[in-house]
Amino acid sequence: MNWNLFVTELVSGITHGSVYALIALGYSMVYGILKLLNFAHGDIYMVGSFIGFGLITVSGGATNLGIPVWLLIFLMLFCAMLGGGLLGVMIERFAYRRLRNAPRIAPLITALGVSFFLENAAQLVLGAQYQSYNSFSWKNPIALHGFTLPAQARISYAGVIVIVGTVVLVVGLTLFVQRTQLGKAMRATSFDREAASMMGIDVDHVIVATFFIGSALAGAAGVFNGIAYQQVWPYMGFTAGLYAFIAAVVGGIGSLPGAVLGGLTIGLAQSFSIGYISSTFSDAVVFGILIAVMIVRPSGLLGRAAVSKV
Amino acid sequence: MVRKFGLIAIAATTVVLAIVSAAAARPTAQAAATASCSKGVSIGMQAPITGPAGSIGSDQLHWALFYVTRWNKTHKLKLHLVQEDTQLDPSKASTTAQALASNASVMGVIGPAGSDEVQAVAPIFRKAGLAFASGSATRVSLTGGAWKGYFFRDVPNDGVQGPTDANYMFSNLGVTSGSSVMVVDDQESYSTGLADIVGQALSGKGVKVDRESVSQKATDFSSLIAKVTSSTKVVFLPFQVASEAQLFAQQLQAQGKTAIAFGSDGTFDSSKFTVNGSYISFFAPDVTTIPVDASIVNAFHKQFPGATSPFGAPNYVLAQMYATAITKACKDGKISRAEVRKDVLKVSLKSTILGGPMRLTANGDVAGAKFHIFKIENGKYVTVA
Amino acid sequence: MSTDPTDPNAPRVGVDEWVASHEQRRVERPGLLGVAERILAQVPSPAFYLGFAVAAALLPVVTSNGYVIDVGLNTLLYMLLALGLNITVGYAGLLDLGYVAFYGFAAYGYAMLASPQFGLHWDTLAVIPLVVIATALLGFLVALPSRRLVGDYLAIVTLFFGELFATVYQNGESMTVFGFSRKYDVTGGPNGIPNIDQFHVFGARIGALNYTAYYYVALIFFMVLLFAMYLVDRSRTGRAWRSLREDPLAAELMGMPVNRLKLIAFACGAGIAGIAGTIFAAANTAVFASEFDFTSGLLIIVYAMLILGGAGSLGGVIIGALVVNVSLEVLRDPGHATWVFYTLICATLVARMRPWRWLGAIIAGTAAFGFAVHAIISAAWPRGVHGQAAVGGLLGSGLQHWVALPSNPTMIGNVAFICLVLAVLVLTLLHGWMQKLAMIPTLYLAAFVWENRLVVEPSITRLILVGVILIVLMNARPQGLLGTSRVEIV
Repeated sequence: MNWNLFVTELVSGITHGSVYALIALGYSMVYGILKLLNFAHGDIYMVGSFIGFGLITVSGGATNLGIPVWLLIFLMLFCAMLGGGLLGVMIERFAYRRLRNAPRIAPLITALGVSFFLENAAQLVLGAQYQSYNSFSWKNPIALHGFTLPAQARISYAGVIVIVGTVVLVVGLTLFVQRTQLGKAMRATSFDREAASMMGIDVDHVIVATFFIGSALAGAAGVFNGIAYQQVWPYMGFTAGLYAFIAAVVGGIGSLPGAVLGGLTIGLAQSFSIGYISSTFSDAVVFGILIAVMIVRPSGLLGRAAVSKV
Repeated sequence: MVRKFGLIAIAATTVVLAIVSAAAARPTAQAAATASCSKGVSIGMQAPITGPAGSIGSDQLHWALFYVTRWNKTHKLKLHLVQEDTQLDPSKASTTAQALASNASVMGVIGPAGSDEVQAVAPIFRKAGLAFASGSATRVSLTGGAWKGYFFRDVPNDGVQGPTDANYMFSNLGVTSGSSVMVVDDQESYSTGLADIVGQALSGKGVKVDRESVSQKATDFSSLIAKVTSSTKVVFLPFQVASEAQLFAQQLQAQGKTAIAFGSDGTFDSSKFTVNGSYISFFAPDVTTIPVDASIVNAFHKQFPGATSPFGAPNYVLAQMYATAITKACKDGKISRAEVRKDVLKVSLKSTILGGPMRLTANGDVAGAKFHIFKIENGKYVTVA
Repeated sequence: MSTDPTDPNAPRVGVDEWVASHEQRRVERPGLLGVAERILAQVPSPAFYLGFAVAAALLPVVTSNGYVIDVGLNTLLYMLLALGLNITVGYAGLLDLGYVAFYGFAAYGYAMLASPQFGLHWDTLAVIPLVVIATALLGFLVALPSRRLVGDYLAIVTLFFGELFATVYQNGESMTVFGFSRKYDVTGGPNGIPNIDQFHVFGARIGALNYTAYYYVALIFFMVLLFAMYLVDRSRTGRAWRSLREDPLAAELMGMPVNRLKLIAFACGAGIAGIAGTIFAAANTAVFASEFDFTSGLLIIVYAMLILGGAGSLGGVIIGALVVNVSLEVLRDPGHATWVFYTLICATLVARMRPWRWLGAIIAGTAAFGFAVHAIISAAWPRGVHGQAAVGGLLGSGLQHWVALPSNPTMIGNVAFICLVLAVLVLTLLHGWMQKLAMIPTLYLAAFVWENRLVVEPSITRLILVGVILIVLMNARPQGLLGTSRVEIV
């Protein structure tokens, strides 16, 4: 049994899965309240990633950083989360608000329109080239050095930052949703919007807060992706958004722990199918696994079976 | 019903106007903008300008535009570049090829970029009598076949690059019969063709070839790198995107693997692929390091800020070849697609920014094509073969 | 969320659909327009469809431009796809995100049976029905999980299926059977299957690149299927599908065989995609798997057409496909795009500015503002006006004197673009005279950004414009151009 391969695939799957989980959380939150599939969510992730890259450039470029690495990472996360959150709020206000009561399929197309707009506006303003965080060449090359695990496997500092950061954010989100007034209001609104508004909850306020938090998580995911996997380019949101959507549904739509579990599942399925089955058909294998999961558990891994009141 | 009628009326009117204008505009554009040596000649350009391959296509477009802008500043015969976005999709390529074919002022086409796009558009351009040239479609079977006399390219094909790379690995990098090499393609036609040729050449010499593939959208290779064993001497990466090769090589180092990363001409970008100890094959010395080119490269960066990819500069040379052919065809004051086609295949440039002369064989391939091997030392590309 | 009856976005509580549509029918415009409307409302829909068929049949007669006919053929193929998707999404209410896989399956199926790939060159009359039936069967199989899955979960499974299809076909050039070492080239991999046979019936063969012939074939298929759908719409099955869409639980309680209806809807939709696929393969003479995966945007465009036109409406299929595809093609050319851009701005102003004197005031104000700014810039910073206008002729020289055109516009253009987006968003928040006042610099800024940055990159601008059109149209009319607004029962 090749333990080195096993542990390496495990580490790789968890790291990648954490990034997917963060994006899937935003999807799940917005879907839970509005039943809206926000196709533009992946592009908010892309904008967050570019914000982080902009900060690196402003601090002198990857090989010539003027500030300590820990401060850089903290600033990148802060700015990307703030920027992503504001972008999400703007999109909700101007593109989705009027469609709250429309049939569910209409906001889908609006979301597609927003996605087209964001991707191509990014190409217009920032160029189509791939940019790189180049964390391998920072003063403290966090993607290169790391810890050694059992079976001579390695995990880089960047990977540790991604996993720990994801855990912190998920725990923070769970505490927020469970313990605060606003969190309670969000849970109520996702359960039944009309009843919540009749109870005196300002639904507009709750929706704006949901979009802000979900998009901030996507922005953070963008920065984590840059730190661990370097690459930033205008169309990166498309595939990531697709995988995050799949993760949110497989985990059970509307369920926050489900989104995290779904993200990890996809990350691990990808890693293990590349490592053990075939890299060419790894996508096909992952989809096959997911189809099987959906058929065995139709409402997702942690989803509630929907009870419809007549 | 009230609002319905109004909106339908508006939508219907818009659609009708659009169709009428499109149908009417193109024929009149044909009549009025028939290419003439005094009024100006158009060159068509097909590239994946937007979409996932946008980094390659927009770079190709910018280099061609750069040449045309410079030409127009110093010549009386004006050139105009008509750009069409194919998004690396063969059916969009054939629709836009139709658009170029119907545009009577277009005398030649640069593009398309992908080998399967070339296959899709070839019958259309052949029927329209247009010459078309690619700076990045390197599948061997494209030249010397049914489209001889119409299709040419200014980069050598996989049939030259593959054996060169395999031979270098065998003779210089310690790859012997019995050792193993991992060949990874990115599931696009450029990559799989080259990967197949190198894989076959190596296994013909008794080397164990581990054939893998990743999607071009993949952002993380650590799962695949975990499969690289200690007896894997070389990992061959015929990628189209240099930053992917960079990430692969960096993650190889991070996982402590001793295999050497070897990239093909698609990864040749000294600003992106810089991991020391890696090798790259390319058909010309680096555009950015030839002294005489420095002024051109600086002017390019002024007009189009941002990095370039290795698929960009060949389009500059293609525009140059077309400009030369069009000038020659215009010597008698009249120009036609057939004339440009014949002249462009006979163009012989003494020196180009690719670092040498440019001349085509009868099939449309580059004459005297040779690949150079580079090694990355201290972040710089050094010629080793 | 308010239930205020004067708020147009609130659901109409306690009002059912029949009452709502009846009320809408009674409000009539005064004058001649009302009379015209009344007459038009009495014309049965098939008359409109026939009118469309006649107009479409005349297109190759009116123009011999190969590009226009190719775009027409593509539009007809899109209409066929939207028609099939309309059954699944519009009638039965099932979100199918893997629809394009049926299209690809049929295209590849035709390619495998009528090309040198396996050496088979079967006659068209045999291949097409075979491929269509196979595709319908595939649709049936994909729909089987729909018994256990509802709503978005079914959507996800169909999405998986679509991606699975694309991945398998993209890498199908060396498939092995259970680990045997002999490799089979089933789908041609990334090189696709080239040299597909053209349609040939009883010895008569369509020549290569004869798009006109394929255009008519597609048109005939489309009209036949359209009339079939029209009849189905008014039949028991059509009514059953609609009830399934509105409320599956109630439908089941009324005795509708809900599962069977879902399966039939999927199968029919897949079958129609199958017909479109065979025409696509033959017309393009080669198929590649990359054309059918999610990143090619094909699924997104078909959905946009369907929903823009109005899901569930047959006329909407035609209008949606026309509007989206023609816009995409017309916007490729920078000259046309400029006209469309300025026309859209003027049309929006005309539609929203009442009374007319405000419109005149704004246009005059913008013109004056522009000339003033141009004069100031040419005095203070001469390089700001040295650039060239992209459009020639009268419009170009007019623009030259009105819009500031810096000689190196990229950086300024980018900043101005971001400012323009923010300005337009702020504009929608203002009201009254403040809004009208803010409109003037915004219009000038729009012209500035267009001339300096957007028109220089027509390929990127095309997609930005399409995105904006989608957002605006869906916000203005969420049910689609010809869709019926549905009333929610609270």
